[in-house]
Amino acid sequence: MRTIRTRALALAGLTALALTGCATAGGTTAESTTDVIPELGEDEQVEIVFESYNLLQAGAWTDTIEGLIADFEAEHPNITVKAQPTQGAGAAGSNTVGSVQTQMLAGNPPDVAQLTFDTLDFAVTELGAKPIEQLVGSEAVDEALGGEHPMHERAATLGDWDGELYGMPYVFSTPVLFYNATALEAAGLPADVDLSTWEAVEEAAATVTAQTGKPSISVSCAVKGGSWCMQGMIRSAGGQVLSDDRTTIEFGEEGAVAAVQELRDLFDAGVLANEDSTAQYESFARGDTVFQLNTSALQATYMGAAAAGGWELANTGMPAFGDQQVVPTNSGSALFMFSEDPAKQRAAWELITFLTSDHAYEKISTGIGYLPLRTSLTEEGGALHEWTQSNPLVQPNLDQLDDLEPWVSYPGDSYVQVDDLLATAIEDAVFYGEDPAATMADAQERAQALIEE
Amino acid sequence: MAFVVLPAPAGRVPAVAASAAADRPRGLARIAGLSGAHLVLGVLAVVSIFPVYWMFATALRAPEDSLSQNPVVWPVSWANLAYVWDAIPLGSMLLNTFGMSLVLAVAQLLVAVLAAYGFARWSFPGRKILFLAFVGSWLVPFQVTMIPNYLLVSQMGLLDTVAGVIVPNLCSAFAVMLMRQHMQAFPSDLLDASQMDGRSSWGTLWRVVVPNMRPALAALAIMLFISAWNEYLWPSLVLRSSDQLVQVGIRSFLGAEGNNWGAVMAASGLACVPILLIYLFLQRYVVDAFVRSGLR
Repeated sequence: MRTIRTRALALAGLTALALTGCATAGGTTAESTTDVIPELGEDEQVEIVFESYNLLQAGAWTDTIEGLIADFEAEHPNITVKAQPTQGAGAAGSNTVGSVQTQMLAGNPPDVAQLTFDTLDFAVTELGAKPIEQLVGSEAVDEALGGEHPMHERAATLGDWDGELYGMPYVFSTPVLFYNATALEAAGLPADVDLSTWEAVEEAAATVTAQTGKPSISVSCAVKGGSWCMQGMIRSAGGQVLSDDRTTIEFGEEGAVAAVQELRDLFDAGVLANEDSTAQYESFARGDTVFQLNTSALQATYMGAAAAGGWELANTGMPAFGDQQVVPTNSGSALFMFSEDPAKQRAAWELITFLTSDHAYEKISTGIGYLPLRTSLTEEGGALHEWTQSNPLVQPNLDQLDDLEPWVSYPGDSYVQVDDLLATAIEDAVFYGEDPAATMADAQERAQALIEE
Repeated sequence: MAFVVLPAPAGRVPAVAASAAADRPRGLARIAGLSGAHLVLGVLAVVSIFPVYWMFATALRAPEDSLSQNPVVWPVSWANLAYVWDAIPLGSMLLNTFGMSLVLAVAQLLVAVLAAYGFARWSFPGRKILFLAFVGSWLVPFQVTMIPNYLLVSQMGLLDTVAGVIVPNLCSAFAVMLMRQHMQAFPSDLLDASQMDGRSSWGTLWRVVVPNMRPALAALAIMLFISAWNEYLWPSLVLRSSDQLVQVGIRSFLGAEGNNWGAVMAASGLACVPILLIYLFLQRYVVDAFVRSGLR
């Protein structure tokens, strides 16, 4: 059996390389369209293609999205939606841009595509994502983001570029510190032990490790694939990965180095496990590690593991660096439009608004378990109030939204390589003995050269 | 009747004894060497088989035990297999994959026989360059030709069809190369005799060459079938739905929110069954295929 995942990663990289020129040729940046696309006529039949990485996964993911598409088609009988998964992807969430690029090269991109937030810059400046706000008008965008249960203010702007909406925020999660409350109690710690700062986490982890004799904490931000959450750690330590004017890489500066140094200290203290992202969540699910900083989207997986293993799952927000403000970042995706035809653009907009409506979040949150971006749905009287009450582990995730900052997308065609440089430098500095300051500075220099190409 | 006891030839007994004494350590060394070799082979066999065992072991655990590291599977549960069967249309996927692999293997074999016959039977200008071009195409990584092939398939309107998976792979340079080797080794006397009997080149191919190369053809066909069956990357690019081929379907249980290993292993195990059956019934040919191809 071939290694699916490795080959898909290779595909993503090669596709990006092979198609960069083509994507550039087809690029559209902030078209100066002033006319709003017309509404569809009552008898005007339109067929659009919707590409979603959620459709790669069998079970609740595919069932929920297909159910929503069916609801949409029932509500809009003149619009037919052909839903398809991301092409050439190894796992959900990978190759989202590569897939659109490949189809664009063949002259047939999807009308609406679910792309991860780290691709925002590339999607807008190179891939030719349509300026939704110019196409439908600011009033329509405000109306779509507002309503009885408006989208959380921190979420609403995640897909904006130059102050205009290009990607409608769709689903995302934030980094949450999960822990095994049963194991804590076995180590003599209270289940509600203070885990609000990294110092407190290290102390608790050291207590558990002293009892078990093995590393007790894993941090997905520290390994490849976790850069989105590492950006949150870096922001929380007072640094940032990219300057505000988006011209200078800054992950070799003081704040970022402090975050990496904290992880290195945990590793040197013998409490941080050196595991890749898959091994991390499997170890935690098995009960081998006791603390896990990872995406809140893993909650359902861990709840199942805890129920099967007979232990109690608990969680809290990201730990702080001393008395500094915690700044979580988001993973997840937005819905981008690639239609050229005005009728398809209008149909695409109808689909986008439907998929981010109260009804959709009700289905998505209860079906898949994603965070509802229309957070007031979880409040008393909201459709998800009962769901939130029965899922108290959602609360730290909801609480973190108030301090949320976007997952930064790097400028230029080499955004994937920049992210890889950062991840490699972090792994080298944390797990393989390299000096954090020197390694991060070197990675910063190389990344800077890439974004200036 | 008298028996005469003859003295043993001088030095014989001591010589035999000496030889036996000398052979004993040599025999022991041989046994030790053989034991060591078998031990190494045994370890390698276990290492090779273990991933397959682990796949079926994980598939047969209860879903909540799918992360268990216990090598013993108990209690055995069919839940993962049942879930996979319900979650994706595995039956039709297996049928589609079987059909695709069969068509590809037959087509590649046909092209290989015709091309190899041409290369081996006739000398013509540019033969070497043409053959080198074939070999060269085999050496070009798939990722390089992937995008041009995708565009071609798109222009032919074959995206999202099993035909789109098949068409760009109708010719296998590897198969051509292998068949050419066999054809070159084919006795030229037989070809000449066939010609003297008045058979055309076409008739000679199908009535003389092919029947005599049946074992090689069978071996190659099996290899091509297995290779087509295991294909993932190209189908995952061409097919816009995950429910057509089994190798793409397995991906359905890998997710951003954690992988459903029980289901992945159950689907993978079921996807392996046809290949394992082929191996079971055509073991001699399968081994032969790898030996003939120079692969071990």
